[in-house]
Amino acid sequence: MRERNPGSVLALTGYEWSHDCPAAAAVGTIPQVRGLRLAVFPASLCAATLVVEAVAIGLAWGLEPRFDTIVYAVYTLTLAGSGALIASRRPRNPIGWLYCGTALATALTADLAQGWGLRAAANGWPAGPFAEWVAAVSWIPAGTAVVYTILLFPDGRLPRSRWRAVGWANAAGAALLLPGWALTPDIGYIFLSGRNPYALPEIPTGALVAVGLTLFLGSLVLSIVPLVQRLRRATGVERQQLKWVVFAAALMAGLLPPVALLWSVTPLVQPVAAVALTALPVATCVAILRYRLYDIDLVISRTLGYLALTALLAAAYSASVLLLGTVVGRRSAWATAGATLVVAVAFRPLRDRIQAGVDRRFNRARYTAVRRVETFLERLRAGHAAPEEIQTVLREALAVDDLDVRISLPDSGLAVDLYGRPVTGDRDDRRERWPIRRAGTTLGDVLVDDPPERVRALLPTLADAGALAVEMARLRVELRRQLAEVGASRARIVAVADAERRRIERDLHDGAQQRLVSIGLALRHAQHALDGTSPEARQTLDGAIAEITVAIDELRELAQGLRPAHLDGGLGPALRELARRAPLPVRVDATADRFPAEVETAAYFTACEGLTNAVKHARASAVELSAGRQGDTLVVRVADDGTGGTQARDGSGLTGLSDRVATQGGRLIVDSVPGRGTVLTAEFPCVS
Amino acid sequence: MRVVIAEDQALLREGLARLFRDGGHEVAATRADAEDLLATVATTMPDLVVLDIRMPPTFTDEGARAAANIKRHHPKVGVLLLSQHIETTHAMSLAAQEGFGYLLKDRVLEVGDFLSTAERVANGGSALEPRVVAHLVAPVHGGRLARLSERERGVLELMAQGLTNAGIAGRLVVSERTVEAHVRHILTKLDIPESEDGHRRVLAVLAHLRAVHEIP
Repeated sequence: MRERNPGSVLALTGYEWSHDCPAAAAVGTIPQVRGLRLAVFPASLCAATLVVEAVAIGLAWGLEPRFDTIVYAVYTLTLAGSGALIASRRPRNPIGWLYCGTALATALTADLAQGWGLRAAANGWPAGPFAEWVAAVSWIPAGTAVVYTILLFPDGRLPRSRWRAVGWANAAGAALLLPGWALTPDIGYIFLSGRNPYALPEIPTGALVAVGLTLFLGSLVLSIVPLVQRLRRATGVERQQLKWVVFAAALMAGLLPPVALLWSVTPLVQPVAAVALTALPVATCVAILRYRLYDIDLVISRTLGYLALTALLAAAYSASVLLLGTVVGRRSAWATAGATLVVAVAFRPLRDRIQAGVDRRFNRARYTAVRRVETFLERLRAGHAAPEEIQTVLREALAVDDLDVRISLPDSGLAVDLYGRPVTGDRDDRRERWPIRRAGTTLGDVLVDDPPERVRALLPTLADAGALAVEMARLRVELRRQLAEVGASRARIVAVADAERRRIERDLHDGAQQRLVSIGLALRHAQHALDGTSPEARQTLDGAIAEITVAIDELRELAQGLRPAHLDGGLGPALRELARRAPLPVRVDATADRFPAEVETAAYFTACEGLTNAVKHARASAVELSAGRQGDTLVVRVADDGTGGTQARDGSGLTGLSDRVATQGGRLIVDSVPGRGTVLTAEFPCVS
Repeated sequence: MRVVIAEDQALLREGLARLFRDGGHEVAATRADAEDLLATVATTMPDLVVLDIRMPPTFTDEGARAAANIKRHHPKVGVLLLSQHIETTHAMSLAAQEGFGYLLKDRVLEVGDFLSTAERVANGGSALEPRVVAHLVAPVHGGRLARLSERERGVLELMAQGLTNAGIAGRLVVSERTVEAHVRHILTKLDIPESEDGHRRVLAVLAHLRAVHEIP
């Protein structure tokens, strides 16, 4: 199973994802076209069977029920096709050749002989009764072929144990049954003439048939036993293969007895036998050639589910018709309509329940795994679980450790993990992947290293079930990324604004202020040049220079408010300067450490806002101002002894400050109890 | 008095030069930046260097660093640092030296005061911006400065600005003996040892104020 080519892996994974979509099945087989090409000898056997069957259909057409003709032709041709496929792909496996031979033999001895017998009787051709005689015994070698198919499956070797005797028993049974059946007068009813033309009443055919049939049917039933034993011991691929044939055999065992019972009651059941028989070559073919393509567990559980559902719905329908019939009168359209309604309403919930029950009974692994994911989804909906846990849930449900869920981001297609962290390395490229889809969108992939067969079988269903959680995780990742982007752009805006303040402050200091000083100096020079000639002019100049001094002072205050030049020297000098300018006693305890300029600015404005609040609103008498490093955090604290009760309101200084602090990744805490003063704390993360 | 001026703004540089010339002093050289200022000082050996704190190329503290350099190589040359805004860190670390002054730029408009301060610095005295001093002597909650009376705080301010007893007496229009009495009281209240040398006294006062304000 390791020598698959990459194309078939793709087809495989692509297919497994939509196992209930026939179109996808067709797509899945495209890369396998090479495998459908037949080897020459099996192909010619198949062609010969086809020709013989075509002749047989032509002969029998119209002389027996038409569906009889068609259905058995379909069976024979399916057997021939399966045999040719298996013999081409696995020429060492005798099952393929057994099928090829059985198909040709069936076409000749059953279908062609039957057709000839019917046509000969109708048109007066020769050897009609002989052909009928051949057709009447043809089922015996065909039955032996079935028994040997089951015994030889899947590797073409007979079982090593004593169950090998089943094969001998069947051969012995067939050897007794064949002459007994062929020569007994009891099968006269099969012939158009009403009697077996080759009957030899002097031979004890009754005893031959009795012993032979017992051995024959007993070996048919017992041939299942080694198969089931093999199934119990088998793991991996062989187990999957065996399940297919057990399924087909069980289908035969389940359908053929009632068909046999009802054979003469209604002709409607007769094609069912052909369907039951056709199931074995199809199942064998799939099991040997394409066991990975079709999910046998799903096929089995769905079959059982629908059989039980059909039975229950039929019972419910009959009961409803009966019950409503007694109420509204027999043959009332209302009874039928009501019963239909009951069945329609019951269908969906009943199907889910039956399916869960069937899964629980017959497919424990699938049931437990799906249940695990569903329990998680319930907890997720209730808010008790985070969607990112889906990876752990899948790992637990499948009992594999090296399973990862990757999200592909919608805008970039970048693969990230469930928390939005980019996935580095090319390890992922070597892992087998199952896409996770929801509403037609591919959300991401489930990646597994060397998945065992049971994981392959379960993952599509589980990933389907978990897609909701993956979608939620993806939305959360997107949200986080967008929030980070918004935060970053807010930080950029503040940084730009701070740079602009700095530029204006510098322009005021170095531009306008200096220019005013120069003008003042020029006036002083003029004053000096006048040198007492005009006392009035001298006074005017004094006044002008006094005005200029006031203007310079005002500009200095303005620039100080924009961005404190003291911050050039760090938080310590800036905070002490702030304290000096305050109209109330301020105790400063500031670190000499330096921090990023934006953080220092935000810390400074925190102190400003705290002081302003203490002075303007809190009627405080003293303030304590501290700034220091606590681990990786810069903590700025403004504590006053004022009235307290301060709150951050929209548009207040505190709200703006909170934004500014948040921009630096920090947080602002206002602790203001009425009567106990206000403590404003800002914490900034800073890794030194 | 021979003066070297370093100021990046041409208009202000010329204004300052004219101011000193009008006052009867010699302007030995003017410079637009601090780069070869030390060489200029070495060749011209002025009595005083007047320089701006912020100068090219970074406009942060080129002037302050140049001032420290000049004092290291030429301790006798007086240095007067000018700035646009109150600058505690650099000013206070340099003020603990003889012949150093620090003023806000607009002080130059009070021509008389400015020139006499410049002369004091050129002669080895100190000068500290009155606004800075006013902040320094403002009483800190629970500190020793709170023990001073209003008048004593006024005297302390002038001491810290670098004025002598005679200068303080002139400003406050009191006798020099009164000033001496105030100074004694102040030094006692602040636990500063007395000293006959006026400059040492200023240094002691500044050291005390720096300690109070935790200025490095």
